[in-house]
Amino acid sequence: MITVRHLTKYFDGRPAIRDISAEYLPGQCSLVIGASGSGKTVLLKSIVGLLEPEEGEVLLNDTVFNRLSPMEKKKIRSRMGMLFQGSALFDFATALENVMFPLDFFTGMSSSEKLDRARFCLRRVGLEGVDRKYPSELSGGMQKRVGIARAIALNPQYLFCDEPNSGLDPQTSVMIDRLIQEITQEYGITTVINTHDMNSVMEIGDKVIFIYKGEKCWEGYRDSIMTSDCRELEEFIFASRMARELRLRYGSGNPSQD
Amino acid sequence: MIRKFLYETGRYLMFLRRVFTRPEKWRLLLRQFMTETDKLVLNSVPLIALISVFIGAVLVIQTSNNMTSPFLPKMYIGYMARESLVLEFCSTMVCLILAGKIGSNISSELGTMRITEQIDAMEMMGVNSANFLVLPKILSTTILNPLLTMMSFVMGLVGGYLLILMTGIIKTSDYLTGIQFAFNGYYITYSLVKTAVFSFIISSISAFYGYWATGGSLGVGRSATKAIVTASAMILIFNLILTRIML
Repeated sequence: MITVRHLTKYFDGRPAIRDISAEYLPGQCSLVIGASGSGKTVLLKSIVGLLEPEEGEVLLNDTVFNRLSPMEKKKIRSRMGMLFQGSALFDFATALENVMFPLDFFTGMSSSEKLDRARFCLRRVGLEGVDRKYPSELSGGMQKRVGIARAIALNPQYLFCDEPNSGLDPQTSVMIDRLIQEITQEYGITTVINTHDMNSVMEIGDKVIFIYKGEKCWEGYRDSIMTSDCRELEEFIFASRMARELRLRYGSGNPSQD
Repeated sequence: MIRKFLYETGRYLMFLRRVFTRPEKWRLLLRQFMTETDKLVLNSVPLIALISVFIGAVLVIQTSNNMTSPFLPKMYIGYMARESLVLEFCSTMVCLILAGKIGSNISSELGTMRITEQIDAMEMMGVNSANFLVLPKILSTTILNPLLTMMSFVMGLVGGYLLILMTGIIKTSDYLTGIQFAFNGYYITYSLVKTAVFSFIISSISAFYGYWATGGSLGVGRSATKAIVTASAMILIFNLILTRIML
């Protein structure tokens, strides 16, 4: 379980996120939604320790992660996996080498064991025959899947995904979402996903947190998100004409006018 | 300005502290060392060889044109060309050229890795990215670039020899006598030390600017420019310091 308490991070004296608290449970996909620039990525990077929050704490089970020494953090990091917005695959390595990278560093496996594990992870995300391809030779969806394979290579307890379906078509997005959900449930991982895609929310959002201008504005479950009385959330969800028209036709809400 | 200089110097030293830590796995360091050697050192061989041959030839022409006195033996053309090559061209000039070639390569590679979050991905895994990515670059260039200096020296002398063969500007025997005349082996040591120091400057400064690149593709371009300019300026400053100390 991940617990975030009163997390605040400043840039140039201005808060990018302010006083955010939340709990993320194992075996669940917890989604953090919000507009671009609302602070989702800052929150995620503060949780994983890529940014140092000025205030608040991040608890991984009962360990206060952001107060640990670099060496102690390093031990815990091998139990974390992260999928970055642009996949962040290493250009200098093939798909297979990308997945093997954490195994090279953090396991004492033999070469054949590492190869087997990396191939298993690639198969698990539905990729075969791409072992020797470089990231530039893969499509966006394939890159994301290699990214997921790399993130799960060390059997992580925690999985963090930053905009996993940005730049992907709707069908591939749904496929990536379902893959993350399957892996989360299969291995009992605590998964935190940043997104602004409402399809993802409705597809896999076990728990949802809405961030507006760096502050937590709403927290709940996907079933209740459509009936929330949070004005900012409503504006976020029904931002498009299609969403507003669908709501008028099928829902009981009162969408704002053009 | 002084404050900014001190700030940047402090950041650079802290960066070096992260680079020079014990590698996670020596096997991976060796693998990266071989890759970087191929990319940064071996790939520079054709360029350095080409430039050295032509500079050697030009040095012979220029020296010959400036030695009009009949009282000066012609072998001094070879001697002067050799001294120019070993004292300044093969170390300082070659390193200034390498600052452009290697410096932009290192800086843009690391800058792109930074803005595409590849460095973040390594840090996220708990890998010391500065150590993994930068240490092999610094080691390979600092240890092996002096070999480029030696090659440049030989190619420069060959360039002069070829010019004499083609133009008959002086007798080849005069040239060969000149390049062996009053040879001081210490100058080779001086040249190699300078190249090693300059290579460290090029690779570490370029890596520093690339590693901390911000601002998208424009930022990568800016970091590459800063890296080349700063490394070139540092080469000139350290050239003066080392010459004062060693000669």
